[in-house]
Amino acid sequence: MADSPEAIKKHIKLYTLIGAVLFVCTLLTVAVAKFEFLDFGQRGFDSVDAVIGLLIATFKATLVALIFMHLNHEKKMVYWLFGMGIFFAFCLMAIFAFAFSDPIEFQAFFGR
Amino acid sequence: MEIPFVVEPRKDTGLNNSKIGIWLFLASEVMLFGGLFSGYIFLRIYADYPWPERTLPVLPGLINTFILIGSSVTVVFAWVSLKLGQWRKFQVYMAITIVCAALFMVLKGIEYNAKFAHQAIRLDDYTVIEGHAHPQGGSHDYHAPKKNFNINAESVQINLSRVDDAYYEVMGKQYADGGMVLADKLSLNDGSVFEKGTAISKELIDQAKNDYLAAIANNSEIDIELGREAWATLKPKYEGKRYYEAVEGNKTLNEVVSAYTKELKAQREEDYRTTTPDLVFVSGSEATSITVNPYWGKLSNPKEGEKGTLKLKDETLIFGVTADSSIALAVDGIDFRHTVMKAEEKGIDPAVAVANSWLLKDEKIKQIWEKHQLITSKLGEELKEKDREPSENDIYRINWQEIAGLLDTDLADLEAMEYNDILALYPGDVEGFAGPDHKKIHYPEVIVPREQVRFESVFSPRWNTYYATYFTITGLHGLHVIAGALVLGYYLFFGRKMFEEKPEWLANRVEVGGLFWHFVDLVWIFLFPILYLM
Repeated sequence: MADSPEAIKKHIKLYTLIGAVLFVCTLLTVAVAKFEFLDFGQRGFDSVDAVIGLLIATFKATLVALIFMHLNHEKKMVYWLFGMGIFFAFCLMAIFAFAFSDPIEFQAFFGR
Repeated sequence: MEIPFVVEPRKDTGLNNSKIGIWLFLASEVMLFGGLFSGYIFLRIYADYPWPERTLPVLPGLINTFILIGSSVTVVFAWVSLKLGQWRKFQVYMAITIVCAALFMVLKGIEYNAKFAHQAIRLDDYTVIEGHAHPQGGSHDYHAPKKNFNINAESVQINLSRVDDAYYEVMGKQYADGGMVLADKLSLNDGSVFEKGTAISKELIDQAKNDYLAAIANNSEIDIELGREAWATLKPKYEGKRYYEAVEGNKTLNEVVSAYTKELKAQREEDYRTTTPDLVFVSGSEATSITVNPYWGKLSNPKEGEKGTLKLKDETLIFGVTADSSIALAVDGIDFRHTVMKAEEKGIDPAVAVANSWLLKDEKIKQIWEKHQLITSKLGEELKEKDREPSENDIYRINWQEIAGLLDTDLADLEAMEYNDILALYPGDVEGFAGPDHKKIHYPEVIVPREQVRFESVFSPRWNTYYATYFTITGLHGLHVIAGALVLGYYLFFGRKMFEEKPEWLANRVEVGGLFWHFVDLVWIFLFPILYLM
C-alpha cells in the first residue's frame, strides 16, 4: 500500500469524511425504524424494514472494511483469507436454511 | 532472536507476517459471529412465541454505535500519527480510543443491569406482564423475598443420599426455627439411637447420611461377593450352558443361580445392615413457615390455602399448606400477543381471549387497556388515510411509555384528544434511558397469585431465546471490546521505547491492533440494527 507520509496525510480527510458518513447512516437506520413516513412496507417491523436496515448496515460495514481496514488496496492474499471467512460464514447460514426442509415438519414422514 | 518479516513483506505473500496473522484471525472471527448470527436468524424465524421486536431502549445502543464509530476513526488517526512520527498525537488519539472502549462497556453495564432488575411473568393464559417485583406481603424491606415460594410445612422428608449442604445451610435454619422434630425413632447401625421427637440438626442428618451410605456400600459388597460365589459354585456343574438355557426342568441357568444366591444371602442375613434412605421430620402443633427461592425447586399445587408439596432439587419434600406465594409486580408493560397467538391456534376469537384474560379482571389494568384500545382506534383512523393499519404490536402490546404517560389522564379526556397530542404525553427516550424508571413513576401494582404464573424470570437469557441470543452475542462482543482495549492500551503505555528504536514496527503493530478494532466496530454495525431496531 502507498504508505509514504505524503500519501497518508492525504488520507486523513477521507477518514474524517467516512466517519461522518457512518454517523449519518447510523442516524438514518434509527430514523427508518422510528418515523412513520420512513416506514416502508407494512406498519411496524416487517421484511421490508429488515432488508432496508441490513442494506444500510452492509453499506456501513463495507465502508469500514474498504477505507478503515484498507481493503480498497490490499494484497491478493488478504482477499482470499477474508473472503473465505465470509464464504464459510454464509455456508453456515445455508446449513441452517436446510432445517426448513426438516422432515419433522412433514407428518407423513413419520406416518403420524 | 530476530523475528522475521514483521516490517518488510514476505516475497510469497507480499505482506508482513503480523498482517497475515490478523487477517487469518479475523476470518475465523467472521465465521464465529456468522454462526451466532445464523443462530439468531434461525431462532427468530422458528420462534414459537411472538418475537420481542424493538423492545430494547434505542438510545444507549445508538450512543454506543457513535462511540464505536468515533473510536474507529481515532484509532486510524493514531496509526497515521505514528506513520508521520508524531508520538504526542498518537498518545492523544489512542487515549481517546481507550476512553471510548471504557464508555462503551459502562453503557453496556447500565443496560445489562436494567435487564437483570426487570421482571417478566408469563401468565397461565399466556399474557405477558413486565415490571418490577416488590417484596412479598407488602413489606418495605428491600431485602425481603420478592418471589419466593412460601409453604406452611407440616412435615419435611429429607433424602439422605441427595441432601445438599448448600441448600441445607439455608433451609435447615428454617426447619430448626420452626421446631421440627424426628417423626419416628431412628436406630442407626452404629448403635446410636435417636428417640422420636429429637430436634432436627445438621449433625443428626450427617450422622444418618454417613450411616446410610456406609450401609448400602456394605450391603452391595456382600451382594457382589455372594453373586460371584454362586456363579463360581454352579458354573462347573452346568459347563457349556448359556444363562438363558434351561438347566433344571424349565428353569434357566440364570434362575437357578438367582435362587442359589438367595439361599446364600439368607445364611448371611446378620451381616446385612438396615438402610434408612429418608428421614421425616414433623412440625409441632403449629406448622413451620418455610420460604424457598423458586429456582431451588417446584411447588406442586401452588393454590393458596390448599395442600401442596414443595420439591427441592435435592429431592427434599416439604409437605404442607401453600401460603401466600404471590408476586407483587409494578406493571410497566403488558403484552397480549402470545394470548392472541394461542387463541388463534385454538380457533378462538382473539378479542374474546383478551377480554377474558385474567389480567383484565384487575380494575387498574382494565382502565389502561380501555385507554389503549381508544388510542389504537385513533391510530387506525389516522393510518386509514394512508391506506395502512395498526400492527399486531400496536394493538396488543402496551409499553411503559404509554402506561407512564397516561397514568393521570382520564378516558374521557383522551377521547377529545388528537392522536399526536396523546403521543406528546408519553415520556421521551432520555427519561427511560435504559428502561422504565420505577423511582420516578409509580406504576400500577398487580398481585399475581402463584397458580396464575406459567413462567417468570428477570430479563436474563432464561426469559426467552431472544434474550439468550442478545446476551450471548453482545456479551461476546463486549469481551472483544475489552480485549481490543487491552492490546491498544499496551501500545499506548508501553510503546514509547519501541517508538524510539523501531517506529515502523510499532506502526505495524498499531495497524494490526487497529484492524481488530475495526472488526469489533463492524460486528456492532450489524448488531445494533438487528437487536435494537428489528
